[in-house]
Amino acid sequence: MRLKHALPLLTILILSLILAACGNDSPSGETEDNAVGEKQSGGTIDVAFNSEPDTLDLMSNASSPTRDIAWHIFETLVALDKDFAVQPMIAEDYNISDDQKVYTITIREGVNFHDGTTVASEDVAASLERWQLVSSVGKTASNFIEEVKTLDELTIEITLNQVYNGFLDDMAAPKTGLVIIPKEIAEEAGEKPLIPEQLIGTGPYQFENWERGKEIVLKKFDDYSQREETDWGGLTGKKEATLDQINFLIVKDPQVKLNGIKTDLYDYAQSIPTDLYEVVETTPNTSPVSYINGYTMMIPDKSEAPFDELKVRQAFQYALDKEEIAQSTYGNEEFYNMDGALFDPSQTELYSAEGTDAYLVHDQEKAKELLAESDYNGEPITIMYSNNNEGYKRISQMAEQQLEAVGFTVELEPYEWATYLEKWQDPSSWDIVTIGYSTRFSPNELGFLVQDKNSSGWYSSDRWTKLMNQWALAASSEERQEILAEMNQTVSDEIPFLKIANETTLDVMSDDIQEYDAWIGPRFWNTWKK
Amino acid sequence: MLHYTLRRLVAIIPVLFIVSIIVFMIIHLTPGNPAFLILGEDSSPEAVEQLEQQLGLDKPKVVQYVDWVGNIVTGDLGASIYSEQPVSEIIGERIGATFSLMVVAMLITLLIAIPTAIFIVWKRNTVMDPLFLSGSLLGTSIPEFWLALLLVLGLGVAIPIFPVAGYVPISEGIGDWLHHLLLPGLVLAFVEIGLIARMLRDSMLESLNQDYTKTARGKGVKESTVLVRHVLANALIPTTTVIGLTVAGLLGGTVIAETIFTIPGIGQLLIDSIHRRDYPVIQGVVLFIACVYVLVNLIVDLLYAFLDPRIRYD
Repeated sequence: MRLKHALPLLTILILSLILAACGNDSPSGETEDNAVGEKQSGGTIDVAFNSEPDTLDLMSNASSPTRDIAWHIFETLVALDKDFAVQPMIAEDYNISDDQKVYTITIREGVNFHDGTTVASEDVAASLERWQLVSSVGKTASNFIEEVKTLDELTIEITLNQVYNGFLDDMAAPKTGLVIIPKEIAEEAGEKPLIPEQLIGTGPYQFENWERGKEIVLKKFDDYSQREETDWGGLTGKKEATLDQINFLIVKDPQVKLNGIKTDLYDYAQSIPTDLYEVVETTPNTSPVSYINGYTMMIPDKSEAPFDELKVRQAFQYALDKEEIAQSTYGNEEFYNMDGALFDPSQTELYSAEGTDAYLVHDQEKAKELLAESDYNGEPITIMYSNNNEGYKRISQMAEQQLEAVGFTVELEPYEWATYLEKWQDPSSWDIVTIGYSTRFSPNELGFLVQDKNSSGWYSSDRWTKLMNQWALAASSEERQEILAEMNQTVSDEIPFLKIANETTLDVMSDDIQEYDAWIGPRFWNTWKK
Repeated sequence: MLHYTLRRLVAIIPVLFIVSIIVFMIIHLTPGNPAFLILGEDSSPEAVEQLEQQLGLDKPKVVQYVDWVGNIVTGDLGASIYSEQPVSEIIGERIGATFSLMVVAMLITLLIAIPTAIFIVWKRNTVMDPLFLSGSLLGTSIPEFWLALLLVLGLGVAIPIFPVAGYVPISEGIGDWLHHLLLPGLVLAFVEIGLIARMLRDSMLESLNQDYTKTARGKGVKESTVLVRHVLANALIPTTTVIGLTVAGLLGGTVIAETIFTIPGIGQLLIDSIHRRDYPVIQGVVLFIACVYVLVNLIVDLLYAFLDPRIRYD
């Protein structure tokens, strides 16, 4: 009897598999993206979200899962537009004094918090206070902040102790920027991350519920104080909450995400491995979504032998064939880009191609020569990476082969993320780490170049520090371009890290979603559902 | 009986105590620090230190352990490092899904296994018997995750009868609840069906030649009645042991099914908490699972006395 039952079942399974396979081969009935019907409001969007954030405190946590949900809830005083330029958000306008030290910022009237109160200058002052404590960018800025004064209900004056032109960029950082929260909450939370009851912002959606391990639900904020600018985009300008509700469902498995999209269980699925691109492309009634997502890199530990020696780092550079690594890591050329600069080409104000000539040099003989001249004596070097990312693993494995080909002895050490974070603090547990950083918007946010910290492999460079000081003073675009070129050159000369490739993320969405703009991550305002 | 039950319940305490020490040691000896995770990769050492202090992670391990056990005695399992929600509350929220899944899996198992075993014993000298043996072997050998993926592709995507993932609490409708749980329940049941049906078949075959069976037949009782009332009833004792173990085993099996079908149950909770080093939650969940395990064993022992009145514990 068991077998009698098993046989038809097996037959169904095999048939279904064949059906499924045929389904993938058939041409997709993709609808035109621009064939937009009548704009509708309301509805719920179900997002298959890649990993559950540890907190939704956008001010303190710089991880992407936190950002991608929290930027629906919170808004900053000033924010980046779609071209990555700083624009007012909660602020009405700002004025910088002639000596460039006094920032007078006026706040828009009647900007509502989700708890019913409105934003006043004392909320901004309290948020600013907390920002300097908990945000990595805020900490940098705090070195320059001398005094914060509330002039009246809607005006705040910030005085800097010296000229610092990175200040607006810091406040506008999409991760850990100057998020405005009510005064009481800012004071109550202090250095502790915000708990769910404290998630009160001014954004178009408000926090509704967090069922750990299952979903985070956001609801439309009916009293949202909308800006009017339709052409700004990014994180500012007009943000209309057209949907009633957004459900961020925690779904880790890529296969489940794809199956869910196919069967209408989800409307949007985040972070699909790029080698599944062909499957995504041929799935009917869905469209792939892609956007820039920073770059991957290998960072040597410069506090200890052997990589404290420049010659060994140069040998490291010459040994790597980055194109080969990227090709075998990302496969499809749509999802990576070989560019040696510190910022993405789309970040026009921050991008400079100058000083990146050495990015793709690959010369095994030269590497062997340099290694022979150096003090490296064949001791094993450890490449450490987190096994939560398939890309880091592949890069490390390719690098292992290429480094061994020129005479390095290499050991790979994968760890799960929590262990990795702890081992990362200790220079004796690694020689090189493989890691990626999401898109950054100011040299201050480049965590892998912060002086004397584990995240930069204890990079310590007078030349870099000097450039950072110049950056703080630079006022014009031209000046900044010059410094950016010099920054590229410094990285190229001193090799604090080796950039592998710019990454592009792949998401997939249902064709029911209209007027969706990916920018640098999933944002569900101004978008609607058929 | 009451005395025996009480004695057994008291005996649970040292078991849980040992479990608590082992769990505490294992998770605290594993590297990783929730403060790094909460603050993210750009955190400064000072901020990490401060947060550790606030979370009480800077105290010596022995002190942390004593604090924890001290609270448990008063019924307080502590609170999550991330959400500050009490651990008992978190387990309460998650246990519904896991328990539902276990019930559905167990029902499927028993509904298929028991009739199958009776049928096979009835047809014991035909070709059905070897067919059954190989079939049950196949059932127990199929890896759960593989079967799950296959079922999802077949009955979720190609012929969309069942949802590919997700969970609906029973409070939102029993139909919806069952609809979401049938596929994962089937996956979990598959392994157990073979095991239990075989166990039952073996014990039934054994009692076929017992004197009471012969007497029953001699009295002219119908073969079907003999099989159910005499053979099955007596074969249930060893099978109950296996079913008890299965219930406990299902608790572990749900981890895989919960992951593949994104069901927010205890298994997922445990894995997520391990990844983020949410110590109070890990400790609470493991202790809870140990409790369930021990209690299920106790219930099985008590069931013996019920199924076979000859067994007396006092």
